[in-house]
Amino acid sequence: MKTIHWIILGIIFVITLVLEFTVLAGYDSHWWNAIPAFYAIFGFVMCLALIFSAKLIAKKILNRDINYYD
Amino acid sequence: MIEFLAIPGVLLIAGAALLTLFPERVRPALFLVFPVIAIAIIFTRPDGYSVAGALLQYDLVLMQTDTLSNLFGFIFAGGALVAGIYAYHMRELGQQVCALAYAGGALGVIYAGDLLTLIIYWEIMAVASTWLIWAKRTPETNGAGMRYLIYHVLGGGLLFAGILWHSVATGSIAVESIPAEYTPANVLMLLGVAVNAAIIPLHTWLSDAYPKATMTGTIFMSIFTTKTAVYVLIRMFAGWELLIFFGAAMALYGIYYAIICKDMREILSYHIISQVGYMVCAIGVGTDLALNGAAAHAYNNILYKSLMFMAVTAVMYSAGTSKMFHLGGLYKKMPWVLTLYVIGGLSISGIPLFAGFVSKGMVIDAAGYGGHETIMLVLLVASVGTWLSVGLKLPYFTWFNKSDYEGELKPVPVNMYIAMGILAFACIFYGIFPSALYAWLPHAMDYEPYTVYHVVEITQIALLTFVVFWWMKKKLAPELTTVLDLDWFYRKVAPATRLIFVQNVNSFFARVEDGIQYSARYFARKFQNPMRWLNPFSDEKNEASSYSPSMEVVMSFILLGFLVFAVVYFT
Repeated sequence: MKTIHWIILGIIFVITLVLEFTVLAGYDSHWWNAIPAFYAIFGFVMCLALIFSAKLIAKKILNRDINYYD
Repeated sequence: MIEFLAIPGVLLIAGAALLTLFPERVRPALFLVFPVIAIAIIFTRPDGYSVAGALLQYDLVLMQTDTLSNLFGFIFAGGALVAGIYAYHMRELGQQVCALAYAGGALGVIYAGDLLTLIIYWEIMAVASTWLIWAKRTPETNGAGMRYLIYHVLGGGLLFAGILWHSVATGSIAVESIPAEYTPANVLMLLGVAVNAAIIPLHTWLSDAYPKATMTGTIFMSIFTTKTAVYVLIRMFAGWELLIFFGAAMALYGIYYAIICKDMREILSYHIISQVGYMVCAIGVGTDLALNGAAAHAYNNILYKSLMFMAVTAVMYSAGTSKMFHLGGLYKKMPWVLTLYVIGGLSISGIPLFAGFVSKGMVIDAAGYGGHETIMLVLLVASVGTWLSVGLKLPYFTWFNKSDYEGELKPVPVNMYIAMGILAFACIFYGIFPSALYAWLPHAMDYEPYTVYHVVEITQIALLTFVVFWWMKKKLAPELTTVLDLDWFYRKVAPATRLIFVQNVNSFFARVEDGIQYSARYFARKFQNPMRWLNPFSDEKNEASSYSPSMEVVMSFILLGFLVFAVVYFT
């Protein structure tokens, strides 16, 4: 990932935020629509949670040696 | 007769038999002919067309068409065609025949108008697909194939028992929607279908067998078995609320394993469970939008899931392994396979302008607007996990991570690229023109995927997931591990089961047999010359030859009398 890629992603993110606060300002069909940038926060938090919980489950319970069943 | 042969399922199975008569050179091309004819049949049969038959006192409906069956019929026949193109270089007769019969079984289930016809095709699918696992001929796949077969025989048995019970109780064997009542017949049928739909905890056959089947075999398997079950669920169990929760659980369960696993085919196999979870969940919601969503998602899923399987299989074909631990840095040497995979990855993650976006949104929205907001959030978490595991992790550690791949690479056959190209085109086509898919859906609906809200929602989730992935990617680095699943219970317990039910029984029979032989020997020896112990005054050497002839005459008469009596009495 070069700097230019990050800048492009940043611009796209800003566009979605602008859209959210202008076009979608009055949008309200779920309780979480009241939270600003909900989906961004959701993606960030859930991705972290998934990685760490999966890692934990794998380490504590699921992972075995590659020849476990042989 | 022509009418009977023009049933897509019968056509493909007859085609499979016909394949055996042709030389190796012609077979791959001939394989493609049958799905093409099936597609032509599907397009020329009007809605409501049916073919009747009879078995004993039952009136069978061998083929019945409507919008839903045509949608699945078309994608199955198309899937068989594309997978056949992908497998064009593969010349093994057994695999070709089984793959075609397997596709025929799936098409047969789709068009079956009654449950008895359905169960016959259902079992054909189970047997034919097992051969695609066994065809690899390793001790590992011998075991996996057997476990797969036992699981499906069990599932088929449950379904058949349910069907018989249902037909006795209601007098109907039609494939029709069943009211959500937990009667024994309904539960048996649901369990039987649940095995094929890989509904947890009945999913282990899938994650056990799919990563081990032959390269092209897995492509076929990823298309048919679970989607056939989804179709039957849509037909018969729409609106069963229980399915909502099992579906959501499947979506998450598959995701966790897709994040944990380190083998490309294992990751994609677990991811099938997650994707089918979306469909099962939507079927449980049961509204028109939800059922359309389930059907559309099954349709799209066949496109991009097989595209992804084909891409990783191309890597596996070329590099000789599917373990990401041994891969990485392939982007310079296999850029086109990467591109094709990424199209599949973007589709499955529901990124705008790709096929997944137009169907996954329907399922998630149907849950959200059907009064299941928590379920909607769970499905969104599964979306995050999809993008993380198969959208980012798998391609990153296969094609990037290292600066270059050092091992030997076999060239990828052109036919593989053609098959992947067709699917990639379809993924983009349906992403840009969703109405081409929506027009085929069973229920009328008013749904617009490209709203500002949807695009903002998905874009924000995808962007931030990407940021976290890039930040945390070291945590997901591949290693060589076996990941346990519920199949542990029967694979590790198998030796104990074998001891109790096979070895103990065997040794019991062996002992009984020994005992019988011993006593037979004992009596034979004793009765060789009964005079030895009947006449205590004789000496040890009381030879049989020294008996008086009169004794022999008496004995002969007794025996003859007995024989005559037996003949007279028993005839």
